[in-house]
Amino acid sequence: MSVKKQVSDNQKSVEISIDGRFDFSLHQYFRDAYVNCTENGQTFTLNLATTSYMDSSALGMILLLKDHAESHAGKIIITKPSDSVNKILEIAQFHRLLTIEQ
Amino acid sequence: MTTFSEKRNIKLALVVDDSLMQCKVLSVLLKEEGYRVFTANDGARGVAMYIKYKPDLVLMDINMPIMNGYEAARKIKGLSQDNSLCPLIFITSMDTDQAFIESIDAGGDGILVRPFSPNVFKAKIKSIQRISDLYGQVKTLQQAQQKDAELAEQLMSGVIEARNFSRDRIGIIRQAAELFSGDIQLTALAPNGDVNVMLGDFTGHGLRSSIGAIPLAETFRAMTKKGFSLFEIITQINHQLYDLLPADLFLAAGFVSISTHNTSMYGFNAGLPDGYLFSELGDIKYQLSSSHPPLGVLPSLLPDSQLTVISIADTDRMILISDGIVEARNEEGEMFEFPRFEEAAKQGVIEGDVSRRVQEIVNSFCKGMPQEDDISLIDIPCGGWEQVLVGSHDYERFPDKLLSDISIETPPAWHWQLSLSGKRLGLLNPIPMAMSQINEIEGHADHWQSLYTILTELFINSLDHGVLGLSSELKASAEGFAEYFKEREHRLRNLNEGFVELQLSHHPVPNGGRVIIKIKDSGQGFDITNYYKNRSAEASPKLKFSGRGIDLVEQLCDSLDYQENGTVVEASYVWTT
Repeated sequence: MSVKKQVSDNQKSVEISIDGRFDFSLHQYFRDAYVNCTENGQTFTLNLATTSYMDSSALGMILLLKDHAESHAGKIIITKPSDSVNKILEIAQFHRLLTIEQ
Repeated sequence: MTTFSEKRNIKLALVVDDSLMQCKVLSVLLKEEGYRVFTANDGARGVAMYIKYKPDLVLMDINMPIMNGYEAARKIKGLSQDNSLCPLIFITSMDTDQAFIESIDAGGDGILVRPFSPNVFKAKIKSIQRISDLYGQVKTLQQAQQKDAELAEQLMSGVIEARNFSRDRIGIIRQAAELFSGDIQLTALAPNGDVNVMLGDFTGHGLRSSIGAIPLAETFRAMTKKGFSLFEIITQINHQLYDLLPADLFLAAGFVSISTHNTSMYGFNAGLPDGYLFSELGDIKYQLSSSHPPLGVLPSLLPDSQLTVISIADTDRMILISDGIVEARNEEGEMFEFPRFEEAAKQGVIEGDVSRRVQEIVNSFCKGMPQEDDISLIDIPCGGWEQVLVGSHDYERFPDKLLSDISIETPPAWHWQLSLSGKRLGLLNPIPMAMSQINEIEGHADHWQSLYTILTELFINSLDHGVLGLSSELKASAEGFAEYFKEREHRLRNLNEGFVELQLSHHPVPNGGRVIIKIKDSGQGFDITNYYKNRSAEASPKLKFSGRGIDLVEQLCDSLDYQENGTVVEASYVWTT
């Protein structure tokens, strides 16, 4: 499956990685990856290292994850977007809404 | 004989078998399951019966005279492309892989190998009927959805886009990925003659993505018409969409306001690819890059948000696009990308038809590949709006007879005034308030548009030159022009003192009236005699960057006077019906 999830031993950080195209077809899998992580103060890392393409519904899904994280006193970090994915994040000015690490 | 297709309380089954014995056995079992049964003894007759009765289920033997079961199945499946899936089951004694594979290839939905017990047969019929019912439900839902989408599409093109301003001069591409586009293009005319344009791209596409379209269009049009500034409109749209839409639905949007009598353009890009300002030769003069997250994401705009002011020439063209164009893919999976778009747009600008040229080039690049996202573009000419607007403005002078009839000695029918000072002056725009007073008291009418222009020009002059102390000399060059607006923005933000006082009074007569506008500001004033001397010395007022506002006001008013060292201006506007 192209959505992978990894939770650290102390439950404090959750890494979700997306392989290939990140679009509406992943909606349910993406939601399933975080919806049960309801512990307070978790850091959600969205690893986009192997994401080849992202559409605007993916941006919407990221905002839903952000809402989820913030409602549990947590935060979200996007890591390693490729150049083409970063371009999409940049056009949407997402660096002004959340942390993006190269 | 009537067909049975309308009476679907009893299900119909068709048994096609050359053995009368087999037909009899299967008929009995089917009748026990509540079916009404027809039989045929060869493939050709089976097809004819299928056409006549439109059954809910077909049982088909394989080896038959005249037309065998495979051929009959192919014919039947070729006919049933409408709403219902009519399941077809092969009944055979050939227990081979080959028979199974061929049955499915011929369009069969299952195969039942003899011998089987009556209970196994009935179980098979039940299971296949269950699938067929499910298929029917999905079809019905899909049709309902299609109908909704068609209605929405009608609403969108009929109600929203048909009301766009100047559809003949502003070029638009709107090619939806699905029936219903998540992209929206709006154009509207402001009372002062500015042309406001928006291209928006809602998250995703299809019906879901367009629920925000109608309130968006209403806000954009109503606020433009009332004379709110582009920035006020964007602020309100953002707020409205944030309230209205769920967290994962938002609007990437580009806004442009062409102000012909300022020879400038105001722009704002929230999440769209770069917008392009082209010269008539096809050179890129400016790229309007995204400077803000899409609208509807944040409860209010980021604090440092502001419009970009760009100086334009009459022959320039401004082009906004959505990401569907640059991300359109060809057979090899390659994207169209910006360089190809820029080249296509350049060709279009030179030829004078951007939307057609770009659409042609994108479509020939994609060569009929299924379109993944909405493709849209707006191409706005930066000049030539005066000719379009003259028709809508009333520039005619009034007969002297009428003027003398309207004496300001008579007491006004009403008097309205508003004084704004300090911070409030930097935040509020009093013109829409004044206009809504007039519209409430006197009713809506076209001639109030001229009054709007007069009020706006005089108020801006009092605010800019009086309270903020900006010199219009700054606006002498194109570079200074941008500088002027930057400085204006800065001073407005830090405004703590000063005032502007606005007074309106109306002296009506039958079929007309006179509105007296008086505006006073806290500024230093200016040398009035010197001002008039300089103005008459100007050879060609068309060529300068400033002072056009006052020219316009003088055309619209029957008198315009500066008093008290230029800190007070009094204008008189006469209207007739």
